[in-house]
Amino acid sequence: MRVLVQLRPRSASADALAAAAPEAMPSVQRMLSELQVDTGYGSAEIPDLLSPGVGSRALDRPLAFSSAPEESARLVRGEIPDDPAAISSLLARPEVSGVFGDPLIQTCLVCPGSPPVGDDTDVARQLDVAALAAEGLDGAGVPLAILDTGINLAHLNGRGRTPTLDAAGSFSPSGTTTTAGQHAVGHGTMCAYDAGIAAPAAILLDHAVLLSTASGPSVMSGLLSDAILSYSQLLGFLRSQTRRALVVSNSWGMFDPAWDFPPGHPGNYSHNPAHPFNIIVASLESAGADILFAAGNCGRDCPDGRCAFGASPPICGANSHPRVLSVAGVDTTQARVGYSSQGPGVLSAQKPDISAFTHFQGSLALGDTDGGTSAACPVAAGVVTAIRTKFSALSISPDQLRSLVFKTAVDLGMTGFDEDHGWGLIDPKPLAAAVAKAAATTVHAPPFRGRNLRHPPLTVGDDVHLWQERMVQRGSTLGVDGKYGPQSKQACTQFQQLQSLQPDGIVGPVTWAASWEAR
Amino acid sequence: MANVLVTVRLSNAQPSMEEAARHLKVSETELDPNFGVVLIDPENQTYAVMVNERVAGDAASAEGAAGPFSNPRIEPTGPPEP
Repeated sequence: MRVLVQLRPRSASADALAAAAPEAMPSVQRMLSELQVDTGYGSAEIPDLLSPGVGSRALDRPLAFSSAPEESARLVRGEIPDDPAAISSLLARPEVSGVFGDPLIQTCLVCPGSPPVGDDTDVARQLDVAALAAEGLDGAGVPLAILDTGINLAHLNGRGRTPTLDAAGSFSPSGTTTTAGQHAVGHGTMCAYDAGIAAPAAILLDHAVLLSTASGPSVMSGLLSDAILSYSQLLGFLRSQTRRALVVSNSWGMFDPAWDFPPGHPGNYSHNPAHPFNIIVASLESAGADILFAAGNCGRDCPDGRCAFGASPPICGANSHPRVLSVAGVDTTQARVGYSSQGPGVLSAQKPDISAFTHFQGSLALGDTDGGTSAACPVAAGVVTAIRTKFSALSISPDQLRSLVFKTAVDLGMTGFDEDHGWGLIDPKPLAAAVAKAAATTVHAPPFRGRNLRHPPLTVGDDVHLWQERMVQRGSTLGVDGKYGPQSKQACTQFQQLQSLQPDGIVGPVTWAASWEAR
Repeated sequence: MANVLVTVRLSNAQPSMEEAARHLKVSETELDPNFGVVLIDPENQTYAVMVNERVAGDAASAEGAAGPFSNPRIEPTGPPEP
C-alpha cells in the first residue's frame, strides 16, 4: 500500500530533508523501518498552518501559513504492508505527524455513462452556425443521407426542426414495416437532429439500413449487405442529379472481429480494400459524394462495452477508408471523450481524420445525451452539407474538401495530426473561406443549350462545336467539326466513365457541366 | 443456408438476375432476389450478388468473379454502452 508520511516541522529528519543533506533520505529510511521509502519521489514541503487547527469546515475560513522552511512539515512517499499495525507503528514515532493515503488520480475523461457536457446551442455557438447562415450556408438544396436506424420527423418537429425529407430517395431494408420519416424515435433521429445543427435546411434521405430484420445481437443490428444496397441506390441518385452534391453520414461500424472473416482471408471486410462495400464507398466518393464515418467508440481509456478488438486497431473497414472522413469525438470543452476510437486506421493508417462535438444534450431521442462518435459524425456531416450549399463537387471535389477540412481544423492535442484527434476540430468559418477561395479558380461551364447531344441521329450545331473544343482542351484527339457522330459519342462515353457518370454517350446537362468543371 | 456476397464483372448495363446467374454458372434460384444484382463499381462494371453459400465457391470461380465475402453485422456507434 502506497502512503504519504508527514514528518513534523523542526524534527531532525524534516530539517535534514529541507537542507537536502546527502544522508537525509537514508536516515529517514532507517527511522521508518516499516516504510519502503520511494527515494525517487524525494520529499515535499508542506507549509505550517498558523490558524487554528484544520477541522472539517476549516478550509472555508481564511487561513494563514508560515513561509519559513524550518516551520514546514515534509512529506515522503513509500510502500507499507497492507496491515493496520504498520500504520500504528509509524504514527507512534515522535517525528511522524501523519500517515495519509496516496490515491491514483486521472484526467476527468467523458466516458460511457457520463452526463452531457453542454448542449446543442453550445455546439451551434462554437460552430458559429449563425455566421454560416448569414452567408447562405445552411444546407438548402443539398441531399444529406443518414444511414442509420431511421428518422422520425415528428420528433424533429417537436424539437423545433423542420427539415425536408426526400422519401423517394430514402431506403429501407426488405421487411421493414415503417416508412421513411416515420421510423421509431432513436439513434437515427438523433443523428438527423445533430446534422441539422449546422445544416437545418438540408434535404434528408432516410436510409434505415440498421433496421435489417436479419437476426443480430441487438434490435439495432444491420448487415453490411444492406449498406451495399443503400450505397448502390445513392450512386444512382447522385448520378441522376444535375447539381453534383450528396453528403452521406454513417454512425455505425463493426464492433467484433468475430463477425468477419479474419484479416488476410480474401473475403475479409475489415482489412480488405477489395471487399464489395469498400469498393462501392470508393465508387460513390468518385461520383462526387462526401462520405463521413464515425471513428468508433473503442477508445483505450473507456471503450464501449461491446468493443472486442483487443489489440487490433478498432478503426477498420469503411470507417478507416482513405476516401472518407473518419470523425473522432470531443466534448463542448474541446476535450477528447475517453471512448473515441484512436488510430492508426486499418485501410488508411492516418485515422481518425478530424474531430467534432459529441456528448451534449440535444435531440433527446436517446435520453439526455447525444453521445458516441455517432453524434460527432453527423455534426461534421452537417458542416460539410452547409458548405455544399454553394459549392458542389464539380467545383470542389470530395478529396479537395477533405484537404481543406484538415488545413483549417483547430489543432488539438499534439501539433498537427495525432491519433486521438486527427487534424483537429472541424472549423466551419475558415473552411468556408478556404473553399470559396479554391472554388474561385474553377472553370465554369457555359450555359447548357437545352438539347442533348447524341448520335444517332447526327447532331449538328455550334453547341457541338463548343463541346468538342472543350474535350480537345481536356486532352481528347476528337475532331472539331460541329458534328456529333460516332467519334464524339465514343469520346463522350470515355469521359463519362472517367468521371463516374452514366456512360450513355449522350451529352446532357450533367455531362455538359462536368466537361468544363470536373477536375 | 445463408447467402454470401460474391462480386462479378458483367458487360451489360443493368444486367438481370438471369444474366448474372448464367455468367456465374449457377441456377437463378441460388441468387437472393431481394438483393438483386447491385452495381458497386461503374468504372469496372462490377456488380455484387448474394449467392447461396452452398454454391458460392463455384460461383466465385467464374470468370470475372470474386468472393465469397463476409457480410458482418453492423451496429450504431453510440451513445456508448458501459
